Amino acid sequence: MLEWIARDRVATLFMVTVGVILAVGAASPGFLSLGTASIVWSNGLVLMLVALGIFPVILTRNIDVSGGSVLGLSAVTLGLSVNAGFAMPIAIAMAMGAGIAAGALNGFLVAVLGAPSIVATLGTLGLFRGAMLIATGGEWIEGLPENLKALGARSFAGLSVMGVVTASIIILLWVFLRSRRGRWFMVVGDNREAARHLGLPVKRIEFLAFVWAGAAASVAGITFASQIGFVPNQAGTGIELRAIAALVLGGVSLLGGVGSVAGVVIGVIFFTSIDTSLVFLKIPAYWNDLIGGAMLLTVLLIDGRLRIALEARDRAARYRRGEQGGPDLKNAEDAA
Amino acid sequence: MEFSLAELNAVSKSYANTPVIKGVDFSVRAGEIHALLGGNGAGKSTLMKILAGLVPASGGQVRIGGQPLSPATPAQAQAMGLYLVPQEAHIFPNQSVLENVCVGLPKSAAEYRTRITDLIAQLGVSLSVDVKAATLEIADRQIVEILRGLVRDAKVLILDEPTSALTPVEVDTLFTRMRGLRNSGHGLVFISHKLHELRAVSDRITVLRDGYVVHSADMADSADADILSAMSPGVTTLSARAGDKQGHADKAAVLTLQNMSGEGFVDISFDVKQGEVLGLTGVVGAGRTELAETLVGLRPRAAGNVTLDSVSFRAKSPFEAIKKGVVHLSEDRQQYGLFLEAPLFWNTSSLVYDRLPFFLRTRYERKRFDTYRTALGIKCESPDQHVGSLSGGNQQKVLLSKCLAAEPKVLILDEPTRGVDVGARNDIYSIIEQLAENGTSVILISSDFDEVVRLSDRIVVMAGGHLAGELPSGASTDEIAQLAFEAEETAHA
Repeated sequence: MLEWIARDRVATLFMVTVGVILAVGAASPGFLSLGTASIVWSNGLVLMLVALGIFPVILTRNIDVSGGSVLGLSAVTLGLSVNAGFAMPIAIAMAMGAGIAAGALNGFLVAVLGAPSIVATLGTLGLFRGAMLIATGGEWIEGLPENLKALGARSFAGLSVMGVVTASIIILLWVFLRSRRGRWFMVVGDNREAARHLGLPVKRIEFLAFVWAGAAASVAGITFASQIGFVPNQAGTGIELRAIAALVLGGVSLLGGVGSVAGVVIGVIFFTSIDTSLVFLKIPAYWNDLIGGAMLLTVLLIDGRLRIALEARDRAARYRRGEQGGPDLKNAEDAA
Repeated sequence: MEFSLAELNAVSKSYANTPVIKGVDFSVRAGEIHALLGGNGAGKSTLMKILAGLVPASGGQVRIGGQPLSPATPAQAQAMGLYLVPQEAHIFPNQSVLENVCVGLPKSAAEYRTRITDLIAQLGVSLSVDVKAATLEIADRQIVEILRGLVRDAKVLILDEPTSALTPVEVDTLFTRMRGLRNSGHGLVFISHKLHELRAVSDRITVLRDGYVVHSADMADSADADILSAMSPGVTTLSARAGDKQGHADKAAVLTLQNMSGEGFVDISFDVKQGEVLGLTGVVGAGRTELAETLVGLRPRAAGNVTLDSVSFRAKSPFEAIKKGVVHLSEDRQQYGLFLEAPLFWNTSSLVYDRLPFFLRTRYERKRFDTYRTALGIKCESPDQHVGSLSGGNQQKVLLSKCLAAEPKVLILDEPTRGVDVGARNDIYSIIEQLAENGTSVILISSDFDEVVRLSDRIVVMAGGHLAGELPSGASTDEIAQLAFEAEETAHA
């Protein structure tokens, strides 16, 4: 059990999430149902997509804080083009095109021009938001067609079309990161210079991570528009910070190289289920941020403490073996 | 003329209009070990990086296996059969050893597993392919780098100071392996500062100085004196031990350790007298570094007493140790010693920041640096230069200046000459001697037995975390080796 926790923060988080859900279920009967699970899933979609997008960027030891703005830009592109009479598939393609272009600009700034990622994406955060506001003239986009809203409505087995799309993206990313090339994203973040020495196309990898983040944020924008049926001009504001918090919670290291898709998924579900629980517990919605923040700190502190304790134990064990003439000497002896 | 596996023709390289490589010819033939020697900053590493495609050449031609290296990227050089094992192993700390070796290969890691376990067995080391690379010792990290080269079927392997972190036994194993590779038709480039190591395995030698080739001949035809004088004119040999020093037996002990135990060592007792250089030696993993770190409060002390000037001494942190006069110089200068991007004079003041005035007066700090610059012979352009831009030997001198600025009673030097060339090594030796003469007690931790013999007034040998024995000044390296290795065998028996 302890070993499991030591290997993975995901384990700690998973247990805390289950604990919280069971506790809320005990306090508020009716919470533990498939219906609630379906609500949590669909409420978490937008955050999930943004987080899945930023995840590879953080793996390569960069950061992307422009996710919320890319989301807004894509949603507005979608809204304006469907309202201008484009067919739905074309409008969706244009929205994704906007997201991918935005991601490519981020990638260009960081990988090609060598700007620090925090600076570059803070800049584009404002740039994309501004472009979006100019495109709409500061107005909200309303009256989106029904066939767009249908994408976000829960239709079969409690899942929406976007819910299924998101699930496929999760599986896709999981499979990809286990592949040979997927591994490259992790090793670039782990030791960039080493990756370069081994001949990996480091810049291309970084660039692609940003493009991926833009694409994922645009899918989040489409989901957002389809779920609420209109596009407010603050769509997606601040969601990138929640996504980064969820990633950290899910065991993704901001120093790059460490993290798993399972961690990302559980991190996002944890955040969303807290929000949903508060509704069931009839706690006013304005408490959400405070409770969410407090839970984040609690999990990270408990996890940090556990990790320190385990490390101390491993270290003590290593030196005990050393005193008996153990593994430290083994190499020299084998060589002799 | 034998076939060259890799060659450089009239290669030159400039950084910001400063030429560092000036028209160098260099080649590696099949079945030879080519030694490359040169002082710090002579351009060895740059030259090898050009050969490996890591740095583009400003002029000249790079050919691998007869074909020009184009495009000049590491991936292309590796595809053409050349692999550079860098001085500092480049590892991915969060990936397994297997992944570390296989990153960048055309197939997924799992398919190379048996091949790599076979190679590990051939190398005669014990290393599990599934452990996280972060847990590896420095020597094992080198093995990971060598495995990377072997698994890529590199015909040319460049080993940039592979022995600097290895124990003598491990060095022998490495040499056996290198000879094996040579006999199977590989070409190797071997960079080292230690002439006797180069002589032990190399067939040809090339010496670089200031970006020029100043000596290139068969190893057998090159006398040590020729090589040394080519490398740094004026230095023909490591300066000899400065006579026999007067005994310190009658002096008072400054620092006394009694039955000290901690992480990686047990029951260590010895003392250091005033003005004495105490050599603390043994093989890597003997617990010397851990002992030093425990003394200055970086690691917890499990048991034992330490007295400094007959007063009980226990430092909770290095800061406290410095205040009491015990200063420690870490073996890893890049990671724990220097502030690489800070100006030189900041580094010199970095142990005494608590003694500086509230508003910094950089004029005095620069002056302080200048004093040490002349005293220690630090070669630099100005006190405002970044430490990272200096060569290894000069970086080490900056570190020494930092320690001296704290005015230590006891100075603990952990591997002070690792990766330092002969000229700078001589300078550091005389600095240490000077210090001892002025009454500072020096604990010199070193794996280089010759260095320990050369400098120490008394030698303490550790092995497997235990005190293996104490030898007087003038003991031979064989005696040290016997203590350092034999204790291990008994520990295993």
